[in-house]
Amino acid sequence: MLFNSLHFLFFFIIVTSLYFAIPYSKRWVLLLVSSCYFYMAFVPIYILILGFTIVIDYFAGIYIRDAEGKRRKLLLVFSLVANIGVLAVFKYYNFLNENFSFLLHGFGLSNPIPYLSILLPIGLSFHTFQAMSYTIEVYRGHQEPERHFGIYSLYVMFYPQLVAGPIERPQNLLHQFREKYDFEYTRVVDGLKLMLWGIFKKLVIADRLAIYVDTVYNNPEQHNGSTLILATIFFAVQIYCDFSGYSDIAIGAARVMGFKLMTNFNRPYFARNISEFWKRWHISLSTWFKDYLYIYLGGNRVSIPRWYFNLFIVFLVSGLWHGANWTYIIWGALNGFYLVFALVSHKFRNKMNHLTGIEKSPWLNRFLQISITFLLSCFAWIFFRANHVTDAFLIIKKMATSSGAFYIENPSVMIFSFLGLFILLFVELKQEFYKGDFSFFNNKRWIVRNLSYAILIVIILLFGVFDGGQFIYFQF
Amino acid sequence: MLETFIHKIRKNPYWYFFFKLIAFLLLLFVLDFSIGNILRHFYFKQQSGLQYRTTYSIEKTNADILVFGSSRANHHYRPDAFENQIGLSFYNVGRDGQYVFYHLDVLKAVLKRYTPKIIILDFVNKEFAQNQESYDRLSVLLPYYKTHPEMRSIINLRSKYERLKLLSQIYPFNSTMFTIAVGNAEFNKKRKSDNKGYVPLTRKWNGVIPKNSISANYEVDSLKIDAYKSFIQECARANVKLYIVCSPYFIQSDITDYSVSIGKEIAKENNIAFFDFSKDTVFVNNTELFADFAHLNDTGAKLFSDSLVKCIIEK
Repeated sequence: MLFNSLHFLFFFIIVTSLYFAIPYSKRWVLLLVSSCYFYMAFVPIYILILGFTIVIDYFAGIYIRDAEGKRRKLLLVFSLVANIGVLAVFKYYNFLNENFSFLLHGFGLSNPIPYLSILLPIGLSFHTFQAMSYTIEVYRGHQEPERHFGIYSLYVMFYPQLVAGPIERPQNLLHQFREKYDFEYTRVVDGLKLMLWGIFKKLVIADRLAIYVDTVYNNPEQHNGSTLILATIFFAVQIYCDFSGYSDIAIGAARVMGFKLMTNFNRPYFARNISEFWKRWHISLSTWFKDYLYIYLGGNRVSIPRWYFNLFIVFLVSGLWHGANWTYIIWGALNGFYLVFALVSHKFRNKMNHLTGIEKSPWLNRFLQISITFLLSCFAWIFFRANHVTDAFLIIKKMATSSGAFYIENPSVMIFSFLGLFILLFVELKQEFYKGDFSFFNNKRWIVRNLSYAILIVIILLFGVFDGGQFIYFQF
Repeated sequence: MLETFIHKIRKNPYWYFFFKLIAFLLLLFVLDFSIGNILRHFYFKQQSGLQYRTTYSIEKTNADILVFGSSRANHHYRPDAFENQIGLSFYNVGRDGQYVFYHLDVLKAVLKRYTPKIIILDFVNKEFAQNQESYDRLSVLLPYYKTHPEMRSIINLRSKYERLKLLSQIYPFNSTMFTIAVGNAEFNKKRKSDNKGYVPLTRKWNGVIPKNSISANYEVDSLKIDAYKSFIQECARANVKLYIVCSPYFIQSDITDYSVSIGKEIAKENNIAFFDFSKDTVFVNNTELFADFAHLNDTGAKLFSDSLVKCIIEK
């Protein structure tokens, strides 16, 4: 069940209406049943996998709390191995096997290990990471184990963030299932507004840009450098609108019912450096890696080379988290390299800023920093989007060597793409730089405010792509 | 009075929410109704272009010979060959990127108005292949949903919520605003890119020969086979002479496409002539007669149309 479908709209209306109609004490049952239904609308049988990890982590949490010494650690390791094991089988088995075959082939040997013909359960990496954060937090003593099996299951399965995050922490989400949320007009309307904005980003911008991006990236050999550059910039916006659009719908849907999920995006393309970019992009995953991997490796409280190594490793793993493909691994490594390079060249860049006098023009300085960060992230996105590593290198080569007119198969696609981009830029520029000034969407006058949202729906009806595909991050 | 009413219901958040929601929906309804009807007006006011040709096919043509099919139909059947040699009026109903669902729906609309004498259905490789695209592309028929009840059952195949989506007046014109604007522009009204629906391709193909794309293994969509059968039955019911034609392909294949095999078998069961030009040696590997990998150019179309007319006359 996709967030951008009428099926979800009916599901949401029914679940939310029932949620406010039934007593507080029974709400967890409704949410759990509806979350099961939501998940089973994709591939029903995979709920068993989810059930398996839920049972393991539920008991692991309780036993970790009660255990001491080595036994505590052993229980944590058991829980983590079970979670990572599921991830390894369903997500990485065939990738590892393929690479193993390639290696053996180099020695003239054949690989006797068979490939598994399995589909990746939707959102597996998201709910696995959320489940892992629970046992880790219980182990660290930051979270009391949840003894109510239903509430714990809901923590892993809460439908708004089940398949593509935000990846929550138990301290933020678990207690909310016991809160008594009333129907509060302002909160409900705010949630609905956020959902509408998310749908706009997905249907009008992401899915429209995807038409051009898919055409170009699926046949890179047939396009010139100019077209490939445009398609890459389009993809940068597409993936942002696709994923942040999903997050907006998820956060909005939860907010209508009273839940406060963590912010996942904070206008990342206005970041002034790569480090800031990762504080604004997929925040729930970045902080997950920071809390559970980067700090575990020693963070920055180690020698400088080790610190750089820690950063690089975190991004390499982050790449692998996204998908079992070398394209994602290179994308992660590239981002890790950017960060390390930024640290190494910090003094030199400061010196250059001083010498050129650019620091005296803060707006120009900021503009340049934002542009460079955007271009660097675009360059990394080439690997993320390319179907193969060879395609990615071909694209880079063509960008550097061939130019020409932009490929335009259908002018409508281009015009609607730029219209969506213009609206996005207008809204985000205002949010980033002109807070508190005149606003269409939060205007004091009822008619201006409501007309703005009605026009947003009209734009979705006029220019939205209704036959578009699923959200990109569902595959992770 | 309104203020007192709002003040009263403000105390109950549920009622306050519903009151505001209804006010918002009314505003949305007014916008949707007005913009949708403006778009409808200008959509049907177009005088040339792809959308105009579809409207003309569905609502205006009264030609004796109609050709149905995808872009291959649109670019392969020259009107003069049929009009001069058979002596009947001709219109090419073919539309780019469409499959049998579209052909059946347009046929239903045509037969509701009048009965042509001859119908030619251009059949393509993978005509029955299962793909979501063939359902998505039925969106081009959405503007006709309101006024053509005979077309609704096919349009509803797009999704189970299609009827609900079509409550919106704007939705049928989704993604068409720019095309409608161009279709109504003065310069476009003077442009005539087609000849009785036929759009000639004048270029010669010099491209690289792609790998053989004919595949024996793909999943077949039973709904498409049903639509094909319905197409045949509708013609039989209306007593129209039907010819099914697989027009020339550039690539010679040893395998007969699975859909073509099924199409031939069904045609045979219904005593319908199926002319297969897909392996005609005059056309195979002849770049002079093709505009691109899948389409004949005007020279190729003339040669093919003449050959087909000869077959029809002989029959």
